[in-house]
Amino acid sequence: MAAPTRRTVLGLARCWRRFESPWSLGSRSLTLAAAPSNSASPWRLLGALCLQRPPLVSKQLTPMQEEMAALLQQMEIERSLYSDHELRALDEAEQLEKKKSDLYEEKDEKNILLVQDLEDMWEQKFLQFKPGARITDADVKNDRSSLHRKLDRNLILLVKDKLGDQDVWMLPQAEWQPGETLRQTAERTLATLSENNLEAKFLGNAPCGHYKFKFPQAVRAEGSLGAKIFFFKALLLTGDFSPAVEKGRHVWASKEELGDYLKPKYLAQVRRFLLDL
Amino acid sequence: QRAGARQGRGPEGLPGPLRRDQRRWRFAAATLFPGFAAGFCPVLCLKNDTIFKQAFSLLRFRTSGENPVYSAGGILLTTSRHYRSKPTHGIGRYKHLVKPEEPKKKKGKVEIRAINVGTDYEYGTLNIHLIAYDMALTESYAQYVHNLCNHLSIKVEESYAMPTKTMEVLQLQDQGNKMLLDSVLTTHERVVQISGLNATFAEIFLEIIQSNLPEGVKLSVREHTEEDFKGRFKARPELEELLAKLN
Repeated sequence: MAAPTRRTVLGLARCWRRFESPWSLGSRSLTLAAAPSNSASPWRLLGALCLQRPPLVSKQLTPMQEEMAALLQQMEIERSLYSDHELRALDEAEQLEKKKSDLYEEKDEKNILLVQDLEDMWEQKFLQFKPGARITDADVKNDRSSLHRKLDRNLILLVKDKLGDQDVWMLPQAEWQPGETLRQTAERTLATLSENNLEAKFLGNAPCGHYKFKFPQAVRAEGSLGAKIFFFKALLLTGDFSPAVEKGRHVWASKEELGDYLKPKYLAQVRRFLLDL
Repeated sequence: QRAGARQGRGPEGLPGPLRRDQRRWRFAAATLFPGFAAGFCPVLCLKNDTIFKQAFSLLRFRTSGENPVYSAGGILLTTSRHYRSKPTHGIGRYKHLVKPEEPKKKKGKVEIRAINVGTDYEYGTLNIHLIAYDMALTESYAQYVHNLCNHLSIKVEESYAMPTKTMEVLQLQDQGNKMLLDSVLTTHERVVQISGLNATFAEIFLEIIQSNLPEGVKLSVREHTEEDFKGRFKARPELEELLAKLN
């Protein structure tokens, strides 16, 4: 299972968080293997947010599952006893036959509503009911920035950001500031993303994954060797980007589509904590 | 004369007459292993007194009404008990190996509360409530959650059901003011009580449970409280009356 590997990752994250304190980044250098001579560590810390929209509709059954379901349903029906409604239907069918055979003594009609009438009414109501469509407009158009697509999958928010000179697709992130926990960094990213339109629920305080990269030689300054990003998972409750936001900057992608946007190494790390069922 | 000890050899150099217990064993062996008997038969036939005593012992068993085949085992069981000085003393003793059972509490159980916030941030007792209208579905999902916890080595304290709530839905009839059309909805609730959930792992666990929820099942994860515990007991109207009278 991936759980043990996750736990070691989280163990690493935990020992990072233990050293969070109101002082400087300097204390972090104690946990680094290669401690530089100056007090500041060369790694910049970023908290990233993995915002997931949970599936709204259950997945469609595979052909084998459908066959099995049909078989089990049939077995259940054959083994089951008659319900009240069916017993009533049988009684009334008997009474009707007796009436036809003229041996019947006229009794008071207790039930005005026969079972047949009830069933007809229900049938009509059922025909009037129209279930929602599984494949929405956005699916047809392949509009990836809409939230109303792929209703049976998990969707993750990706944002285009400037990293150095290039525009890179990544999960929304923000730099860690001393005095806050990494989870608060992630919450801050959420707030800045949508100006408080998106509501999300964080399930826990621990990060779910991490990614470490070194800056290219040109960008490397004295203090910064590279950056470490810690991902936090949140489930989207309500809200969406307002349509006024620039179109090309964000995308709601499912697990397969992530490959279209993210860089390979980043993608490999992100894939590890995505649960797609 | 016989040379030396009781086990001395007879004049022909054959094994001497057997002691009573030895004889019994040989007899048992003879009945159990015919080949063995065949080997010894010529030996025994040569010694008249041994035959006599053999037949005597045979008679003894026959008169007592036992089947010789059974008495083969019977010999081993009904012989004198394994004496204290013998190595077989205490054979068959097992109570000292079994852990003594604690006396079961008849009255209500005492609640055990774990530390909620510790160094490892472990949760105390958590209740996972699964609520649905369909009983088979709830039960099957409760079973799934229980198996999942077992597989992930999360301790499951208890897995119980809350009483079923019945709801009668009355619809207003199309013609007239009477509320006629009925349907009866039963709400079933199953609870899986777990303890010792790691805070780091809780996130993953909750996500697994949430994403695997079948249609129509509501999930609620809460901490276990006294009210949850007491809510399972039946209401006792007489006791409440008496308490009201006292106060």
